[in-house]
Amino acid sequence: MTVNKRSKPTSVNPMKIGQSLGSVLAFQGCYKALPIVHGAQGCSAFPKALLTRHFREPIAVQTSALQEMDVIFDANRNLEEALNTILSKHRPDIIGIIGTELTDVAGVDYQSMLKTYKRERNMRGGLAFSVTLPDFRGSLESGFSSTVEAMLDEMIQQVGHRGSRSVNTRQITLLPGSFLTPGDVMELKEMISSFGFEVIALPDISTSLSGHLLTGFSPLTRGGVPLDSMLQSLHSGLTIAIGGSMERPARRLHNALGTPYKVFESAMGLKATDDILQFLHQISGEPVQLRYCWQRENLLDSMLDAHFQFAGMSALVALEPDHLYTVSSWLEELGVEQKALVTSYETPLVVEMEREVWVGDLDDVELLGKGADLWIGNSHGINGAARLDAAFMAAGFPVWNELGAYMATSVGYRGAMEWTNKAANLLMRREEEHRESSIRYRGWN
Amino acid sequence: MESIRNDVFDAQACGSLTPKSKPCPRPKPGEAAGGCSFDGAQITLLPIMDAAHLVHGPAACAGNSWESRGALSSGPSLSQYGFTTDLNDNDIIFGGEKKLKDSIDYIAGRFMPPAIFVYATCVTALIGEDLDAVCKEAAGRLGLPVIPVNSPGFVGSKNLGNRLAGEALLQYVIGTGEPEIEIPLGVNLIGEYNIAGEMWDIEKLMKSVGITLMSRITGDARYKEITWAHHAKVNMVVCSRALLGLAKEMEARYHIPYFEGSFYGAKETTYSLRQMAYLLNDREMERRVDRLTEREENRLIQELRPYRKLLKGKKAVLYTGGVKSWSIISALKELGVQVVGVGTNKSTEDDVRRIADRVGDDTEYIPEGGASRIIKTVRDRKADIMIAGGRNMYVAMKEQIPFIDINQERHKAYAGYEGLLRLAKELTYSLANPIWKLAASAAPWDKEEPSYDR
Repeated sequence: MTVNKRSKPTSVNPMKIGQSLGSVLAFQGCYKALPIVHGAQGCSAFPKALLTRHFREPIAVQTSALQEMDVIFDANRNLEEALNTILSKHRPDIIGIIGTELTDVAGVDYQSMLKTYKRERNMRGGLAFSVTLPDFRGSLESGFSSTVEAMLDEMIQQVGHRGSRSVNTRQITLLPGSFLTPGDVMELKEMISSFGFEVIALPDISTSLSGHLLTGFSPLTRGGVPLDSMLQSLHSGLTIAIGGSMERPARRLHNALGTPYKVFESAMGLKATDDILQFLHQISGEPVQLRYCWQRENLLDSMLDAHFQFAGMSALVALEPDHLYTVSSWLEELGVEQKALVTSYETPLVVEMEREVWVGDLDDVELLGKGADLWIGNSHGINGAARLDAAFMAAGFPVWNELGAYMATSVGYRGAMEWTNKAANLLMRREEEHRESSIRYRGWN
Repeated sequence: MESIRNDVFDAQACGSLTPKSKPCPRPKPGEAAGGCSFDGAQITLLPIMDAAHLVHGPAACAGNSWESRGALSSGPSLSQYGFTTDLNDNDIIFGGEKKLKDSIDYIAGRFMPPAIFVYATCVTALIGEDLDAVCKEAAGRLGLPVIPVNSPGFVGSKNLGNRLAGEALLQYVIGTGEPEIEIPLGVNLIGEYNIAGEMWDIEKLMKSVGITLMSRITGDARYKEITWAHHAKVNMVVCSRALLGLAKEMEARYHIPYFEGSFYGAKETTYSLRQMAYLLNDREMERRVDRLTEREENRLIQELRPYRKLLKGKKAVLYTGGVKSWSIISALKELGVQVVGVGTNKSTEDDVRRIADRVGDDTEYIPEGGASRIIKTVRDRKADIMIAGGRNMYVAMKEQIPFIDINQERHKAYAGYEGLLRLAKELTYSLANPIWKLAASAAPWDKEEPSYDR
């Protein structure tokens, strides 16, 4: 309905995460990949440290380590050196060059440099492409989806034009949005395959950032979707995108190969899961498996149990656009008042939302969310939530105050049930604490 | 008193800040690890807890890094706020100085901090924003110190950023204030960042022998106390090679003698306290230090006994930045742990010499090369444990190597006598954890079984 912005010159306690971090995240879901952040060392060190803290996994990323003089004279010399080193030492299947604000402002043309490099060295068999993601535009979400789009583009260019494309109608390409955890992606894959489909998730963080125990260190990604599966996905009969930001990559596949696509803006909560299962049921002609019927009842029952807890409660949500939309629609089903919805940047999805959305920072969240009982957002919100005296529920990125946040599931009936119970428990505990402090207060008088 | 001093940082002094050996070699593209100069400057200055720290640049420089460092505060928390001018396309094209000025005004008006530090980033440096001029103008107008920190990421490594932050302190902060009451025997701690509260353990020890902590530069610091740092009698440079230049310059300008010391390990702690008392030239204090250190060391011997038994002969690979390499070695040696490999990538020649003094000849030096090189050393030398920073933690976990985090994101304080005991406990917990056995054993169906006789 409306997207508002508070006017103030400074961002106080920023929510926005660099686009390049979103891109690095996308690469983690591809096997034997290595993203190179084309910028100063910090441009890769910060995302690496933050992703490591959130996922508690090693993160594959490298840098062209630009210094002042490199930027002024020839930044691409560094990139070439980085490429030489990486290709001779590690032999990645997928190389992604992530252009930063530094290379953007300096006007470095790494796109054509990469083309020349590939031609001169006769590079074949892998994917090597670049994507421009300055941090003064977008946020984590746009960095992630732009990278997937660029990746698909490169794949289409490599194989798309060769002959007629055979279509495998039993195979579905899943494009999971940046806000989904490894646990979420796994749940979605299971859900789709329960109707007899082959699923290729792209990228697939469910097999790379979910806690494997592969030994033998490599600076490349250790899990995720392998390149041949990625290329195989071009033969899929259908694309399913989760999250509004993934519509563009899905459309890219449609435009180039004619693959039909379906976008689910949310996969969380009763209605959203109903929609997905109903859709899969209709296109496959297979019945919905019994376990989902059970889970549906479980969810409804837990919503009934929890509704006392949610009565009269209000929440604020501070998340990336797609995630904000999903969580907001879940809160809708619980009947929780939504005091403030704040996101990092404007996207078509949040513009079309029926509720008032603010683009801002966590300081705005504190101001707009005054009186809220529940704060839903990333770990940067802990202090703000304490100042508002709201229960804090960690969600989104980064989450460092909880173990296993990366495996927590929010999609499907099961995920919604997990979230419903978690939120209600937090409110229950808060109520208890308040009661205790009021007893103590009376004791003093 | 003027809030910002006018004297320009003279070139002579600047020259003396550059160590003879080049400590920060050019990072190798495709093989580089670690943060940038902007990161380094923030590590040094963010522990000034009551100041506002404003990052002039696009969102991610601050957005990806705020609240990521483990420096604790005993009171004010303004430095934990993330402030950034959050530049967009338009600001880059038309210049962000107006926005910077407005941001400074906004922060000054709303948060009323004692000072605002303004950090340049790659982009603002590249488009030629005049940080110094904007800060100077704002400082004059607001009557508030507004300090430019010219340490954009692309000038070099984290280490250089520490140094540039030190220069900012010298140029704009130190020497601009006077303490409320005269402190006759004050000591500055330079380069102690109060990671996990280590400063507090040190402060307690100093207090108990009557040594006054004059200025904390900058762990758990308040802006004001740094302004009068020039009144100290002694500077102690704690485990940070990067701020040695600051101590040297303070010696030249204010005749404050300095020494380098560490609080990792009982021996180093005792040495540092003794050195303070000695340089303060107070006999009575020296006697008090002797009594305290003797008592503490004896107590430690008792309390460490059970842990020493378990730790004796264990082998460790240590991979950490610069000075900590040698100081942690001392602590480990006191616990009976043998260091079989040590990182020297960020160490200067002096550091390496100190490392050599402390380890045997067959210790492997790991000059560079990141995770794979460290793991190779662990395997080759049959080390029992790896001691490194958070970035390498999960690499060690995957390889099922016991691990202790020693860098800035950790949650345990290892300084002083108490710290050594904590280190002993952590090492023991880590080594004795049942997970190592469980993780190494295969699922029952993966084990080879003898076939049944039929």
